[in-house]
Amino acid sequence: MTHGAPAQQPGMRLYIAIWVGLLAIVGVEVALTFAQLPTNTLLAALLSLAVLEAGIGVMYFMHLKYERRVLFWSLIPTLVFVLVMMNHLWPDAHRLLRMKP
Amino acid sequence: MSGSNPAMALGHHAAEESPYGIQSKKLVMWLFIIADAATFGAILFGYGYLRVGSPDWTRPFHFSPTILNGMVMTFVLLTSSLTMLAAVAAAQAGQRATSARWIFATAGLGVLFATLHLREWFGLIADHWSPSNNPMGGSPLVGASFFSITGLHLLHVLCGVVALVVVALKYRGGRLEPGHVETTGLYWHFVDLVWMFVFPLVYLMNVS
Repeated sequence: MTHGAPAQQPGMRLYIAIWVGLLAIVGVEVALTFAQLPTNTLLAALLSLAVLEAGIGVMYFMHLKYERRVLFWSLIPTLVFVLVMMNHLWPDAHRLLRMKP
Repeated sequence: MSGSNPAMALGHHAAEESPYGIQSKKLVMWLFIIADAATFGAILFGYGYLRVGSPDWTRPFHFSPTILNGMVMTFVLLTSSLTMLAAVAAAQAGQRATSARWIFATAGLGVLFATLHLREWFGLIADHWSPSNNPMGGSPLVGASFFSITGLHLLHVLCGVVALVVVALKYRGGRLEPGHVETTGLYWHFVDLVWMFVFPLVYLMNVS
């Protein structure tokens, strides 16, 4: 990210490398799914990989890495804050589970 | 007094540079994307709430055909992001015809994704899955959450295809500028990235 004018954007060679990388991550996700992992472990692994994919996509495919830094700091923390605030529902979901036979 | 205000002295047409250094249309698209990401976040959190809170949640998917189909859909959507990047690069180089061809290729891949998705939906519906019915006997919320989340994403894909075709035609005809192609590309990449959460959470987490 830059302070001033937007930086030079990358070429197709880097985009293709990222595309291959993202496809590889999807392959890892599918392999993990059939590796008989505990549900919580699988969820944590899949979520981590999905966040990694989204981060790479936003920074490179959507060019946020090459925009002024202020754009990143105006947008991303806001979204993260909203998503973190949504986590308040989990205790109630576990309460519902305990109420069932 | 207005005479002491420099902005007023410059008149109504005076405008300062955007602190973001990007076109307004691009900034507005970013704001839409952040809002839409929160929408998808909310619906995925809702799905997680239902899944955790339902002891009779069923896992209906197998590697073939569902996961295999999902992998092909993921490949198609990721590849469409690549063609969109080629369209933006061509537009920035002033190659209108080339850019339009890449945009049409992106839209074609979007149509292919939607076709694969609908084929999967019709297969599930033929197996008596619906938003209110679970043929495996568990919680009907499995179908409700599956069809609502994938349906919302599919709606985004279809809207994106329409937008891509319109932008390609108008850009090729000289009625739009490269910034429009780039802004449409932002939306398309976002739709792609949302799928990166939908596929693992809605499909892979429900493999039997």
